[in-house]
Order: sequence, then C-alpha cells, then structure tokens
Amino acid sequence: MAAVQVTDSSFKQDVLESELPVLVDFWAPWCGPCRMVAPVVDEISEQYDGQVKVVKLNTDENPSVASQYGIRSIPTLMIFKGGQRVDMVVGAVPKTTLANTLEKYL
Amino acid sequence: MQDTQATTQATEKNLELMRNFAQSYAKRTGTYFCADLGVTAVVLEGLAKHKDDLGAPLCPCRHYEDKEAEAKATYWNCPCVPMQERHECHCMLFLKDDNPFAGDKQEISFDEIRSETNKY
Repeated sequence: MAAVQVTDSSFKQDVLESELPVLVDFWAPWCGPCRMVAPVVDEISEQYDGQVKVVKLNTDENPSVASQYGIRSIPTLMIFKGGQRVDMVVGAVPKTTLANTLEKYL
Repeated sequence: MQDTQATTQATEKNLELMRNFAQSYAKRTGTYFCADLGVTAVVLEGLAKHKDDLGAPLCPCRHYEDKEAEAKATYWNCPCVPMQERHECHCMLFLKDDNPFAGDKQEISFDEIRSETNKY
C-alpha cells in the first residue's frame, strides 16, 4: 500500500486520530534526499502494512503542520502514536535505521 | 514520489547559473556530487527555482516560516554557512569523499539535470 498524502486540513483526522501508529514523511518538491528516502518509506509501508500507517506531507503546500512540529531540515520522518509525536529521524536514512526506530512503537 | 500537483521547474538561465556554480564549487572545495546524480539534479533545480522566486539560491532541503526573510538573512543561501565552515551539506549536493553516498563526479550536464527533473 503506497503512502498517502496528508494535508494541513486532514492531518488531525489522518494522523492524530489514527488507531495505528503513524509514520509521517515531511518532504518538499525539489529536495534531493527526499527523493532518496521516498522509496524507503514506501517499502516500510508495505513491510508494516496493518501495523503502521505511513503518510507523506508536502511542507511547501502544508506549512501549518510543518511549522507546528518545528520541521527544519527536510526530509524529516516523524512517528506519531495516540496523537502524540513520539520520535523522529532527520535526513535520508537506511531502511534498517527507520525500521528499528519504528519497531519501538509497535 | 507522486506529487499532488505539477512541480514547476526553474528558468533555464538560473538552472545554468546554479549548474556552473555547483561544478566550480565542488572542484574548489574537493567535494563530490552524489553517486545518484538524480539527487544532484533535483537539488540544482530547487536552488535555481528559489533564485527565480526569491532572488537567492535558498536551500531546498529546509522548511522555512518565511522564505523571503530567510533569503535576506542569507544563512541558508547556497553555499550555506555550515557548508562554508564545515563542508556540511545535508542536501547532499556537495559530499566529502568519505561520505558513503559520494560519487566521483564534479560535473553534471544541463540535459542530465532536465532528463531527471522532467519526471516530476
């Protein structure tokens, strides 16, 4: 299942009110490392299907959520559980790093 | 990655300007482009687009509260202060040779850039 795009207006429902833990990929259109991490995020989405919800947020188009969570360096991958931010990883990271971080919250 | 709407490319003039800057700056600092030149292409397009829109090549791998104010502040204009001081480029445009993602190139053609960024 490919990661769906969330927006400023859908963030509360799609992320904060999610039953499952959520991995949010904060990305921007012309960010090189974001293009590297995107396939990793898609693989994670497939590997943890049913255990984790994986979504993407374009920070240029959705500045409110990005600012609210203090996003600076992009890509930033943030994990939410029960409506709270519980962890984050900054930059293009290997799949194992992301998986290990995620495993803590399953 | 699928964009929800078309991503706008930069003008050819500023893309060429940033391409030439990046090639000479890599050589001058002894840094290399990413082994995946698609990353290089995307970042150069982003820098050129910011040059078009803001008048300065603001880093495309950051989120800003106010892009115009940041461009005026200059800290994150390419080459940014962390790059100038410590050769740190989190955008992966200029990589030190011991970086696992570093390739062996300090040059990229206009066509290589556009053949990549035309996909988006």
